[in-house]
Amino acid sequence: MKERRLRPSPFILVLAAIGVLMAGAATTLSGVCGPFTDVGDDAFCPFLQEIFYLGITSGTSPTTYAPDEPVTRIQAAAFLSRTVDAALRMGSRRAAIGQFWTPRVQAALGQTEIGSGIYSVVSDGTDLWVSRLPDSVVRVRGSDGRVLETWTGVIGATQMLAAMGKIFVIGTNQPYGTHVLYRLDPSQPAGSATVVATELGDIPQSIAFDGTRIWTGNTNASISAILPTPTPPWRVTNLRFGFWSPTAVVFDGASLWAVDYAAKTLLRLEGGGILQTVTLGGLPELPIFDGASLWVPNQTFNAVSVVRASTGAILATLTAEGLFSPRSAAFDGERVMVTSSSRVCLWKASSLSPLGCYPFGAGAACSDGINFWLTMGTSLARF
Amino acid sequence: MLAALAGTAGGVSGLCGPFIDVPDTPFCRSILEIFTLGITVGTTPTTYTPDGVVNRLQAAVLLSRTIDSVLDRGSRAAALGQFWNPGNPAVLGYTTLPFRPISVKADGENIWVSNPPAVSRVRASDGKLLESWTGAPDAEFLLVAMGKVFVTGLNGSLYQVDPAQPAGSVTAVVTGLGAHPFRIAYDGGRIWTANINPGSISIISPGPSIPWTATTITAGFTDPNGILYDGSHIWVTEFQSGLLKKVGPSGAVLQTVTLEKDIGRPAFDGANLWVPTFNQAVLIVRAADGRLVTKLRENELIGPSIAAFDGRRMLIWNADFSAISLWRASDMTPIGAVAPPSDVVTDICSDGLHFWLALPNAGQIARF
Repeated sequence: MKERRLRPSPFILVLAAIGVLMAGAATTLSGVCGPFTDVGDDAFCPFLQEIFYLGITSGTSPTTYAPDEPVTRIQAAAFLSRTVDAALRMGSRRAAIGQFWTPRVQAALGQTEIGSGIYSVVSDGTDLWVSRLPDSVVRVRGSDGRVLETWTGVIGATQMLAAMGKIFVIGTNQPYGTHVLYRLDPSQPAGSATVVATELGDIPQSIAFDGTRIWTGNTNASISAILPTPTPPWRVTNLRFGFWSPTAVVFDGASLWAVDYAAKTLLRLEGGGILQTVTLGGLPELPIFDGASLWVPNQTFNAVSVVRASTGAILATLTAEGLFSPRSAAFDGERVMVTSSSRVCLWKASSLSPLGCYPFGAGAACSDGINFWLTMGTSLARF
Repeated sequence: MLAALAGTAGGVSGLCGPFIDVPDTPFCRSILEIFTLGITVGTTPTTYTPDGVVNRLQAAVLLSRTIDSVLDRGSRAAALGQFWNPGNPAVLGYTTLPFRPISVKADGENIWVSNPPAVSRVRASDGKLLESWTGAPDAEFLLVAMGKVFVTGLNGSLYQVDPAQPAGSVTAVVTGLGAHPFRIAYDGGRIWTANINPGSISIISPGPSIPWTATTITAGFTDPNGILYDGSHIWVTEFQSGLLKKVGPSGAVLQTVTLEKDIGRPAFDGANLWVPTFNQAVLIVRAADGRLVTKLRENELIGPSIAAFDGRRMLIWNADFSAISLWRASDMTPIGAVAPPSDVVTDICSDGLHFWLALPNAGQIARF
């Protein structure tokens, strides 16, 4: 049972009775339960007041709620949608530190100069890690964008993964040119990276972790499964279950998904086999998962396909003016950002509703839960 | 022991949890979830009445409990197992600053403290004083935005700290703001200050070179003492006149909400503005339409003057030093009142896990 909240003092009641209170306040408080005259001031009232305060309901009229009326399915949809939105908005890290704004112009971004060769960015929750070709990874403090340290000898550093308290980086093993997995230990002073796995499949383009294995999606018809063990080298199994070019892999908490760039499909994998095929068309890129759906940028369609992870159904294909050849996506717990060379665009993840586009381009993207971080030329930008 | 076991067994003896009228179908999992979370208790201890119709009042209960459950379980405090609220001033964590602190602001990892002439960085995880910038003798209130830290200067300046650089002197990015810039906000493109005496607001446009341009607007403002951005609009509170004003991009007043005199410093929780007034009340205004939806009076509110939000709770500091009042923001249920530090509090912020209070007389900030 919720505690009763509003206890007007006798003084206030007297003022109200004689019309002394200000009009706004008097109007607001004139109902029996909030503004509603048809709901008793009983145990149910606090619950109704909460959803009224949060904008989940506005009643059936300014003074009525119709408490005994059944909820139609469409009303239920509106209630539930607003409930989800309210919970996400209030519960976000941005709300907790009072940062409700969205940068409007490029000048409002925080820029950290990294240098040439930037390839990708990933967050460990506190810091950002930026891979640079030909051979380094730069650690940037998330709170202020300060370059903290640089790890060297990460030859061919491209895509990265923050997992198991470490940073994993796809690279190459010179002079042989085979693809390897590097490991950085953030708790140690910056130095050289450690090779923990070799002989990855040909030209790995993405990396994911499912809690047991690290996976890489490889351009040349394979996916690599890497099993961490106490001592490197870790065992690598290259799987070739009918893939053409499975360049992107992502884990949704239950299934591993791969985007087959050449076959233009999204594949749900299980036991190394293909459990489900979703036809996307175009040229699909690296997706992100928002807790319910996969967002797959598509270069050809200048769009983003949203796929429900539980069923594989395509929910929507989202476009935005000026979003040309999107390459990357990121999720911050509330919003999805999609980047392209000319614009970056935002959508509300829960409703897929557009939040606007911004007139600058970016490459890779990630989020630390407060800000998005974008690679822009030789710099890393906080959005 | 037998009784306890019997109780447990009885609790799950239905076909779906305790419910005997719900078959073990795919729906059972959803019903069990909302039962486990306390969102429903069923129509009786053993029935859920799955084919019954939900009326609007019952729907309100389900939705209200859903919001509360999501916020409680999804908070950083829950993830870290920190479900407590401090019970007295002795259990707070204190950090001593070089000078008297005025304002506090979190950047997500650290706490920034204006303590003129310094601006200091304190590590949030352990309260360690990390470093201090100097050169801001009139520093007052803080803003963290664009990867930088901004602080208003009593004499009409706006100072900037670049946290990515080694500690040194602050940089004045603009001067000549309205008299006594008091509070500060950011809308994603421009910085706004509320200037209290004489009343005005200033809109500052960051640019590639210093000084930045600023426009000060007096029309429509008397004594603004609070300013914040809700994701769509700037809101300004006015102390003596008791007005809350929604402000458009040009600085024009779009809407005026008449509240009460002696307004303190407000906070936004993602849906509502919490406006403390020294008149023993906290007024709740819905940001979407500027409607005053309720007035909170209990929970030991005596001279409420500063509000702060941490993603789940709203903290109200009372200027008579009697109590810190805590509320669950989603349903405005009082959590309780706690004895405060025996010092005036000039500012409060949250880092998403703790509240931080500026205690100028003690020369400290306190982690709550």
